[in-house]
Amino acid sequence: MSAPIVEIRGLSKHYGSVRAVDDLDFTVAPGQVCGLLGPNGAGKTTVLRMLVGLVRPSGGEAWLFDEPVKPGAPALARVGTMIEQAAFVPYLSGVENLELWWRSGGRHWSGADSGRAFEVAGLGDAIDRKVRTYSQGMRQRLGLARAVLSRPELLVLDEPTNGLDPQEMRAVRQLLRRVAEEGTTVLLSSHILSEVEQVCSHVVVMDKGRLVTTGTVASLTAGGGTAYFEVDDAQRARAILGALPGVVSITDEHPGLSIELSGVKRSDIVAALVGSGVAVETVSARHALEDAFLGLVGDHTTRHVGKGA
Amino acid sequence: MLSLIGTELVKQVRRARTWVALGFVVFVPVLMTVILKLNPPSPGPGGGQFRPFFLGSLQTGLLVPATSLFLMSRIFIVIVMALFVGDAVASEAAWGNLRFMLVRPITRGRLLAAKLVSAVLFASAAVLLVALAGLVVGVISFGWHPLDLARGGGFGGGPPPGFGAFRGVTQQLTQSEGVLLWHTLLAVVLIAWGLAAVLAFGFMLSTMTDSPVGASFGAVGFFIVMGILDSIDSLGSIRHALPVDYYDAWTDLFMRNKWTADMTRSALLQVPYVIVFLGVAWWWFHRKDITS
Repeated sequence: MSAPIVEIRGLSKHYGSVRAVDDLDFTVAPGQVCGLLGPNGAGKTTVLRMLVGLVRPSGGEAWLFDEPVKPGAPALARVGTMIEQAAFVPYLSGVENLELWWRSGGRHWSGADSGRAFEVAGLGDAIDRKVRTYSQGMRQRLGLARAVLSRPELLVLDEPTNGLDPQEMRAVRQLLRRVAEEGTTVLLSSHILSEVEQVCSHVVVMDKGRLVTTGTVASLTAGGGTAYFEVDDAQRARAILGALPGVVSITDEHPGLSIELSGVKRSDIVAALVGSGVAVETVSARHALEDAFLGLVGDHTTRHVGKGA
Repeated sequence: MLSLIGTELVKQVRRARTWVALGFVVFVPVLMTVILKLNPPSPGPGGGQFRPFFLGSLQTGLLVPATSLFLMSRIFIVIVMALFVGDAVASEAAWGNLRFMLVRPITRGRLLAAKLVSAVLFASAAVLLVALAGLVVGVISFGWHPLDLARGGGFGGGPPPGFGAFRGVTQQLTQSEGVLLWHTLLAVVLIAWGLAAVLAFGFMLSTMTDSPVGASFGAVGFFIVMGILDSIDSLGSIRHALPVDYYDAWTDLFMRNKWTADMTRSALLQVPYVIVFLGVAWWWFHRKDITS
């Protein structure tokens, strides 16, 4: 197994008596798209800030590419970052901001992946307008453009779809899938669980500064969550499912049934119904990650779900 | 490092505020000269501390730069210079862009040094521009002549009242055009460096706050407070340790036609303040959590 790209070891950050991050451990392996999940105040942004050397840890270490992170660490050259809202020099245009930021690192503009960046920004002629005239969504897209400018091996993004409209959010998701396919590792924080479910291969769940769980999205959502079934005989299906272990509740949701599961897979449910002669016409997962997440953050006990992350 | 300094300079050059500030430092000497030309002061006693310079300027345009510097160094130059240093780090933090400058393999020390160099260059350029504007408009208005106080110029056949007697010394003064220019250049350097402690204080504040206006006002406030303390006689010899105590010593170049020990004291007095304030700025910026 290759060495992790991100390694967080016993990382802590205290502000007086407040423990924003408390003894956190997790890793992100090459090629993973890892979502950092947690309710507001869980410490996600603080973790990302420590990971890129903006905030000094109170304890523990963050490692990038097998190097301990400190301000200005050489490993940061391999990282594209957008922490919180994207910000720029307001009186310069979008393209001037990108160029100046790039050149200030001692690099020639010709070495930047400007084509990809402009495509990600998607600003058209507005790229030549002063940034102070941009909407929040435009700034956010320009921020993403800046993050991919160096063809990074790791993208660290904090709430990357904040301020974006639904089309822009979809474009960001597509971008993340594409860069992941190209081999870029992604670590992103988000509170939009459906977004994480669609984009991420792995998740790290935090609550109150502590690790709640890590694992693959698939393993986290397997055997849990809510599923929707449409069957030919709802009354009979209800009776069969009511006797099955792992079925927590059954709710009528015309024309089908909404079933809350715990420790049982949807495929097991289908097999039980079909085996009893009930025809299953539709099966779909409902907010599997959301259910898993809400179940987890109420329980502060750390446990591992599956391998990786 | 040079590329980092270059981008910081570009940020200053592209900023409208920079040109407004530099425009003002050009405008004031021009305005002063026009007023002097249209309504020259009459010879005679009285008229305050600026009077000797005003009267000398009527004799040669080469004294107008020194007159402009003297007029503006009391507060205006301090404000403009404080604007550049107060803005250096705090404006980037106020935009929220500081964190994006630092998520790269650029150490905080390098970024701080680049911002300091850029701010100091523009702050110094402001002082130089005062002198250059005064020189151009002064020579156009009053000509390219030596300063000859025995000749008395066009205002009464004797030395301008008060000139040569400033800072408690009275003597005959004659300065050639070359000497006047050389002294003007020295005056620019002495004024700029004479404010080094104030500027270092403003730069230190700039690393501590997200408010560039606050940092700039802090520097100006420091200058004013030091000036007030310096005027309190009962402070005794403590006053000589204040960074502004010898701030006006550069005027001896014109009043006494020589380099004096007070100028050396003014220059040396800045050093410990600069070391302490920049040291604190460096320490603070290195341990600071960058959240903006």
